[in-house]
Amino acid sequence: MTALMELHGVVRRYGDRVALKVDHLSLEEGRIVGLVGPNGSGKTTLLRLLAFLDRPDEGTILFRGEEAQGRREALRREVTLLLQEPFLLKRSVFENVAYGLKLRGEKEHLKSRVDEALRSVGLDPARFARRLWFQLSGGEAQRVALASRLVLRPRLLLLDEPTASVDLHSASLIHEAVLRARRDWGTTLLLVSHDLAWLYDVAEEVVALYGGRVSERGPENLVAGPWIQSKEGVLKRRLDDGQILVASGSADAKALAALDPSSVVVSLDRPQGTSARNLLKGTVSQMTYENASGRVLVKVLVGGLALTARLTDHSVRELGLHPGLEVFLLIKASAFRWL
Amino acid sequence: MDYILEGFSIAIGLLLSADEETFSAVFTTLRVSTLSIFTSLLIGIPLGFILGYHHFPGRRLARTVVDTLLALPTVVIGLLVYAFISRRGPLGELGLLFSLKGVAIGQVILALPIVIALTASAVEELDERLRQTLLTLGADSKGLALSTLWEARYAVLIAAITGYGRVISEVGISMMIGGNIKWHTRTITTAIALETGKGQFGAGIALGLVLLALAFIVNVGVSFLRRRATA
Repeated sequence: MTALMELHGVVRRYGDRVALKVDHLSLEEGRIVGLVGPNGSGKTTLLRLLAFLDRPDEGTILFRGEEAQGRREALRREVTLLLQEPFLLKRSVFENVAYGLKLRGEKEHLKSRVDEALRSVGLDPARFARRLWFQLSGGEAQRVALASRLVLRPRLLLLDEPTASVDLHSASLIHEAVLRARRDWGTTLLLVSHDLAWLYDVAEEVVALYGGRVSERGPENLVAGPWIQSKEGVLKRRLDDGQILVASGSADAKALAALDPSSVVVSLDRPQGTSARNLLKGTVSQMTYENASGRVLVKVLVGGLALTARLTDHSVRELGLHPGLEVFLLIKASAFRWL
Repeated sequence: MDYILEGFSIAIGLLLSADEETFSAVFTTLRVSTLSIFTSLLIGIPLGFILGYHHFPGRRLARTVVDTLLALPTVVIGLLVYAFISRRGPLGELGLLFSLKGVAIGQVILALPIVIALTASAVEELDERLRQTLLTLGADSKGLALSTLWEARYAVLIAAITGYGRVISEVGISMMIGGNIKWHTRTITTAIALETGKGQFGAGIALGLVLLALAFIVNVGVSFLRRRATA
């Protein structure tokens, strides 16, 4: 597989603050890539760079192996971004979807292409094509916005939490439509979604951003403070139910700790004699298949905190895990990494 | 009190019998105001768009100047235009004094700041997401500018109607430049001023009613467009 887009040494600053610093990132052609990270981690900044809406302060962006700088306007016709909030032009639904095609001078079969795009997002052209922008619900508007991008058959489709502000029905239609675009035209997809279960299920690869940097370990658990420095030289975080999380190293009270899900061990009984400093009691709340690794992500609620463990399906079966089950988590104090 | 009621009944009579003198003033008003507003839009929309869309040095100053000109009194415009187009003035040769063209020049100066300022605001207030949407759909810089103006179209129409409302109701410029010449430059507002001075309340009220009706239509237009613009 060849790389559709590659970022090398890319830095984007807002004033003095480094919003994004990516040493290397490559998006393979035709792949479905998930992008996760907490608020302010640089997801939107990365999307804006990939959509050629913004340029990096340092570094190079390659599109199909060639330097993108200097031909951003042309490349903007290969890549498109669907914004989080539904936003339509003050025109009819038909004109919204036809806008990009008209700009490209592709006026042949205009009507049939627009109709096809509307159908692909579950909107009947006979009912919707002539409606005006204010005669649509939020979910319908977002689907029209998606149709106006799908009709362009982009090489890369970037989706910034497209289902964050729409109803469930629209969300599932949006999910179906973007996957169909990949299947039918080989469109590369980069998805940011709050629906992590769906994201981990469909993504063949997940890129995690923390503090503007790409995590090499993929998605991690994040534990926010307040951390209390104890006499034994470790940091302690008191959970809502009174249990205490212990992490080694040194950091200030408000620091954010990352924890690789692969380093979390799940046990059914309280184990005796373990070297792990943390032995926490919790309840399994969710189990998700992680397409990228072929593993199962088991989310466990521990005193108001959600911690995810990455297990093989064999272990899940062996332990008989299911949501609602009480389990113990074993975590070494040294497994926490300070961000 | 009686003379006011009597004035109303005379006014209705004048309007229903299509009184020639009354309607001459109405048509003169419509002719000159239409000429003025179209000229103002032709010059004002591009200037307003540039002011609201582009970031150039001196933009803030230009904006302040335009906003100041919004408060120009019509008699000051009348005075200035009179000075320029009277026989002794630099443009005296053109014979524009006491003509509708002369009035139109003054009214363009009156309406232009309104059209420019409201167009600039309309373009400035567009959602940042519009720019991103147009760019992600593949718009180049020309497409971006044209589509941006098109998105602001309802607000630009509001600017046009607001300017028109100002032009049809002004009296200073029409009086000073037009000279209130019967059958020629007498407009609704100058006629009302004259008729009232003569004690002819009926004719004044008749013309006042026509002006109110025009203002009503203009405002209905604005409120309809405002709903569209914010939808």
